Amino acid sequence: MAKQFHPSVLTANNLVEGHSVFLAAEGWHRDIAKALVAVTPEHAAELEALGHRHVSANEVVGPYLVDVALGDGAPVPMLRREQIRASGAPTIAVGTDALPQVAA
Amino acid sequence: MYRYDEFDHRFVAERTQEFRNQVARRLDGSLTEDEFKPLRLMNGLYLQLHAYMLRVAIPYGTLDARQMRMLAHIAETWDRGYGHFTTRQNIQYNWPKLADTPDILDALASVEMHAIQTSGNCIRNTTSDPFAGVAPEEIDDPRITAELIRQWSSLHPEFTFLGRKFKIAVTGCEEDRVALRLHDIGVQIVRKDGNPDGAVGYRIFVGGGMGRTPMISRELRAFLPKADLLPYLEACLRVYNLHGRRDNKYKARIKILVHEQGIDSYRAQVEAEFAAMDRSAIAAPEAEVARIAAYFAAPELPDRSADEADYSRAFQSDAQFAAWVQRNTFQHRVPGYVAATISLKPVGGVPGDATAEQMRVMADLAEAHSQNEIRITHEQNVVLPHVALADLYKVYRGLQGAGLDAANKGLVTDIIACPGLDYCALATARSIPVAQAISNRFASPERQADIGPLPIKISGCINACGHHHVGAIGILGLDKAGVESYQITLGGDATERAALGDRTGPGFGYDELPEVVEKVVDTYIAHRQGNRETFLQTYRRIGMQPFKEALYAA
Repeated sequence: MAKQFHPSVLTANNLVEGHSVFLAAEGWHRDIAKALVAVTPEHAAELEALGHRHVSANEVVGPYLVDVALGDGAPVPMLRREQIRASGAPTIAVGTDALPQVAA
Repeated sequence: MYRYDEFDHRFVAERTQEFRNQVARRLDGSLTEDEFKPLRLMNGLYLQLHAYMLRVAIPYGTLDARQMRMLAHIAETWDRGYGHFTTRQNIQYNWPKLADTPDILDALASVEMHAIQTSGNCIRNTTSDPFAGVAPEEIDDPRITAELIRQWSSLHPEFTFLGRKFKIAVTGCEEDRVALRLHDIGVQIVRKDGNPDGAVGYRIFVGGGMGRTPMISRELRAFLPKADLLPYLEACLRVYNLHGRRDNKYKARIKILVHEQGIDSYRAQVEAEFAAMDRSAIAAPEAEVARIAAYFAAPELPDRSADEADYSRAFQSDAQFAAWVQRNTFQHRVPGYVAATISLKPVGGVPGDATAEQMRVMADLAEAHSQNEIRITHEQNVVLPHVALADLYKVYRGLQGAGLDAANKGLVTDIIACPGLDYCALATARSIPVAQAISNRFASPERQADIGPLPIKISGCINACGHHHVGAIGILGLDKAGVESYQITLGGDATERAALGDRTGPGFGYDELPEVVEKVVDTYIAHRQGNRETFLQTYRRIGMQPFKEALYAA
């Protein structure tokens, strides 16, 4: 059975910084809210093809499509993994922010 | 501490320069990602969910203060001010930029460290006992053997492209603090026939491992003369390299080969290879072994018993210190000294993480009070191996000032957790916040002490970096249609009584886990025979059924 199509955005990792990025109208952006949303399979295929050209141009690594929901217009990844990835950071406090209160 | 010789320095420097050139070629487009990926992985550089991740080798978990300070410097200069100590006794940086990684490797090389073979299908960092050179019952210091294996396995031309990664652990004690039986090869230093006056050699185990097909290793050789170690390991690896599967990565580890062929068949092939090979060409020369052994000579520890008044006074007057001493110190072979475990598991903290400032505090304390030695444990803690009782309160106060004074070694809050879905591209569920929620639930020191030893181990995927299979309570995070779901196992044990945990039944949701663990703990408390019977002892006596009833009763 063919997989049901969901609206999707194209994501990848920035080559130099490594952070997650999303294909937007003006290129790759860290904010998923700026991403181009494919609403048809044909549009999704176009985004993928564009992403692979950007791989060849040495901008990003490993592009792939992420299924999203469009609740109030902004794309929200459907999978927990992609939600965390789109947030650009762990779901927890890290480094000095994660330290317990130290007695003086 | 082992120190690099001229060859080691040149080898690491050349490799770093080579990687610098490879990164430059990647950045200018001369190398594609497909071409570059295996090269970066050979240098410990992964691409994870949010960023690159660099895994740095800490050979057999041993560091000195200068090296720990460099790890702090790297964290501050090229990362976000912290690092994560792993179950392979390594450290991972979660946020390096690709262009910076050659500079990081140069910085590491300046203190005799590198990231080579921390990834890829090769022989990984050999792990060892954090109490090496300390434990009273130790037959011989396992770091000498581990260093021999490091030198033999580094860029070994036959074993750089194995069918799959390969992990070796070495211990010098009967008491297992290295998860020996969960390794591809486990090397235990023993005396022949168990005779206290017998020759010192090795007992060799093969075919252990975790991951999606967990197995306890089998004994391959009851006794191997010391001089035969490297030829014998070479024979083991050759048979694996020849017959190990390469068509399916999930069946490519040596445990599958040993399981499918049978231990007797595998042993016969190894012994035949061992008999046929030119052993003298592979064995380490006696002079080289002696040179390495000299680096691990026991430090001269002066008698400080006349200075122990402060310690005795503090032990009587400071209840938190007394609890920390009882929980986090280990008897040293030299009277008047202990090995002190620094827990990287403060209540609600991130297991295994340390900030740059904490690394410097540990380095300073090691330099001043532990013969300049530091060990990383596979339980994601840190050990100061040679602390005089006379200095112990000073050390404790130093740790206290840096949030490193948790008195919970081996208790319910001393949780092993992999980075999980907060960082890892392979993960299917989060591990760290699960550990934090459980830790917060059991925050009370009195309750932790009442529960007693209870290793909880959490993995965020089937690869089992969090060692969940051998947790007394194991937690495995999975993805069920985009939602995190967690399987619970009970009865796992990473020690000399190695055992894999048994699944309780259907999995649980992310938010349910503190309550699930609480029910398991309450069931144990209700059934234990006196408060000295540990969780594992109770589980072995009563089995799974009472726990199932507590977890799944309507």
